[in-house]
Amino acid sequence: MFNLQPLAKHPLSDSSPEIDKEVYEATWALFAAICRYWGTIADATPHRTQVLNFMLTRIKLNPLYMGYYATAREVLARMRAEHGDAAYEMLFIDKAAASEDPPVSPLAVVRQRVSNELVSLHLAVGGFKAFGAVNYCGYIAGPNLSGQEPPYRTGTIT
Amino acid sequence: MSEVDTLIIGSGVAAAAIAKRLLAINPAASILMLEAGQRVKMQDAAIWQDYVVSNKLPYTKYYDRIFPEKDVPGENVNAGRTSVNLDGARVFTYGGSTIHWGGWSFRLKPEDFELRKRAGRAIDWPFTYSQLEMYYGQAEHYLGVSGDSADPTVPRSTPFPFPAFPYTLEDQPVAMALNALHLSHSHLPIARRGVSDQASRHAPCQTTGTCKYCPFGARYSANNYLDDMFQWGSFPNLAIQLGVVVQQILMGDRKTVAGVEYMDSADGKVKTVQANRVIVAAGAIESAKLLKRSRSAYWQRGIGNDKDLVGRNIVTHPYFVFQGKQKSANAERLQPELNFPTLVSRHFDSEAEQREGKFVLVNPPGSPKVDLNRLMRQGKTRTEVDQAVAAPGLFEIHGMVEVFSDRNNYVDNHPIPNFIGVPQTVVDFNQDAGFELRMQGIQAQVQKIFETMDTQLFGKPSISWRADHAACTVRMSHDPEEGVTDPNLRVHGVDNLYVCSNGAFASLGAVNPTLTLTALALRLGDHLSGAKGGGR
Repeated sequence: MFNLQPLAKHPLSDSSPEIDKEVYEATWALFAAICRYWGTIADATPHRTQVLNFMLTRIKLNPLYMGYYATAREVLARMRAEHGDAAYEMLFIDKAAASEDPPVSPLAVVRQRVSNELVSLHLAVGGFKAFGAVNYCGYIAGPNLSGQEPPYRTGTIT
Repeated sequence: MSEVDTLIIGSGVAAAAIAKRLLAINPAASILMLEAGQRVKMQDAAIWQDYVVSNKLPYTKYYDRIFPEKDVPGENVNAGRTSVNLDGARVFTYGGSTIHWGGWSFRLKPEDFELRKRAGRAIDWPFTYSQLEMYYGQAEHYLGVSGDSADPTVPRSTPFPFPAFPYTLEDQPVAMALNALHLSHSHLPIARRGVSDQASRHAPCQTTGTCKYCPFGARYSANNYLDDMFQWGSFPNLAIQLGVVVQQILMGDRKTVAGVEYMDSADGKVKTVQANRVIVAAGAIESAKLLKRSRSAYWQRGIGNDKDLVGRNIVTHPYFVFQGKQKSANAERLQPELNFPTLVSRHFDSEAEQREGKFVLVNPPGSPKVDLNRLMRQGKTRTEVDQAVAAPGLFEIHGMVEVFSDRNNYVDNHPIPNFIGVPQTVVDFNQDAGFELRMQGIQAQVQKIFETMDTQLFGKPSISWRADHAACTVRMSHDPEEGVTDPNLRVHGVDNLYVCSNGAFASLGAVNPTLTLTALALRLGDHLSGAKGGGR
C-alpha cells in the first residue's frame, strides 16, 4: 500500500533496448560454444548476465547490432538444423567469412560482428587463464595492494 | 566583451594544474578556459566494451589528419626531410592529450638543467633541478603517480603517493640481462592511482589493461580532473568554453595583453574577451603558432618574436623499437598481463651520455608478443594457440633518445584551417647529421642485452619522430636573445602573458615531459598567486 515504485526500474531502463529472448539464447549458446570449442571456460553459466549486458551495450552504441544478433540467430538455427553442434566449429574456422571486407553476407556478419566479438569477450572475462596468465587486457584483475599478491604474474629477478 | 582575471588557452594538464593551484589559493578566482576541442565521454561502459572487443577509441577522431599523400588530401605540411608526424601525437579535445597518454611520469635529472654548461648543447634551464624539486613531488601527487620512493635514480625529498607496481613476469628476462651486464634499471613511475588512506573521487587502478580508455579513471586524464573541479568544486568564477579557436592575442600596448579574439564554433562568430592576464597552455606547437599569428603594430612578427625565436628550436623524442626473436621456447608462457610498462633503464640517461644524447630503455608491455585474440579470431584451434603461446617469443625493447635544438627546425601557421578550425601546421624538421651514428651506438647496447637474453636482434630499429613530446618552441631563458619566455614562463617583453607548455622547456632530456610540465604549471600557479610552495 506504500509501494511508491510499483515497477522496479532503473532510471535508464527506458532507454535500454529490448532483446528478443530467442535472439539472446542463441547468442548465449554461441558464447558457450566458444568456451567449449577452445576449452577455455569449463562452465560458462556465471557469464550469462555478462553476455546480455554485452549485447545491450553493443546495441546502445550501434543499433545495427540488434540486426546482427537477429541474423546470428537465424544463420545459426539453419546451420545447426543441418550440421548439429558441428555448426559452431564450421563458423569458427570459416576463413572466407572471417576475411570478407566489409562483411555483407549473413555468415560473414555473424562471424565478424557477433562470433569474433564474443571470442574477445570470453577472453576478457577469464578465458585467457587457460593459457597460463592471471591477467589480460579487458579483465578486471583488481588493484595493486601492498602486502598482497599482485594482480598479475611477477618473477624473481636475480 | 566580457572580462576575466585569468584566461587560459587550452584545457590540458597544464591548464588543469594551473587552475587547480590558483583555486586552491583563492576559490573565488576568476578563470576562463578556452578549448578548441569538444568533450569525449569518459568511463562509459559501452565505449569501454567497444575498446575491449574492437580496439576502437572514442577520441581518435580528434587526432590530426595524416600529412597529404597520394589519394589522401590530409592536413598540415611536413616541410623537412624528417617526417615529424602529428597524427596520433596530440588530441584536440577537452582535457587535451592526457586523454590518450601513457602516463610515464619521469623527473628530469639534475644535469638536464645544465645542458650547455655540461655538454655544450642548446641552452641551460634558467633554474636548477633543486629549485623545481618540490614541485616535482607535488606534480606526482596531482597526477597520482605510482613509483618506487627508494629509487636513487633521481634525488627526491618526498615519496610517491602510491607504491610502485611490481615488475611483471615479462620483465624478468630483460631485468636479469640488465643485471648481468651491470646496467641499472628501476620501476617505471606511472600515473596510475593506487590505494591509499587519502580520500579521492578518482578510483585506483584495477589493472584492466585498457589504459587508453580507463573504465575507472585511474590513469590521470585532465578531463576527469576538470570534471572534478566543475562538478564538485565550489568555484563560482571558474568557467570553460569549448569549440573555441583563439585567432589571436590582443595587445593593449606593447607590454600589456588586453585579451584575445576567438571564433566560436557554436555560431561561427568572431568574439573577444578581455583578461587581466593570459596563459597560453595549448601545447608546444599550438602555443608557438598562436604567438606567431598574434601580429600587431606592437609586435609585427608576432608576440615575443622580435628575435625570430618563436616556433624555432623544436625538438621531440625519436622513439625507437628494437625487435628480436627468442632462441628457445617461451617456457614461462610469457604474455601481456598489463597495459603499461613497469621496468625502465635510465642507465644511459646519465651525465656521461649527455653530449651525445642520453637515452632510456623500456621493457614494453606485450613483449613477447602473444595475441590470443587474433589467433582465435583467425580460427586457430586450441592446440595451435597453445603452440603459438609456447613458441619462441618476439621480444621488443623500446626507448627514447635526447636530441638537441636547432634553430633551423621550426613550426608555423598554415593559412588553411584544420578539421576543427585551427590553422594547419607547417613543421620543418631535419634530423641531426650525427643521429644515425648515435643510433648505432644505442643498437650496440641493445644487441648486448638481447644476446644476454638469448634473443636474436633483427637489426635496425623502427624509429618514430612523431610529435608527442614536441618541446622548446618558446623556450625559457634569462636572456631574451636566447629564448621566448623568462624563468617564470612570462613572455619576454610582455607583463601579463605566460606560456605553460612543453614549448617552454629549455631542453627535453631523454624522458617523457608531462611530469615536468605539471611541475611547471603548479609553480606558475604559485608565482601568479604570490604563494610559495603549494598554495596556502
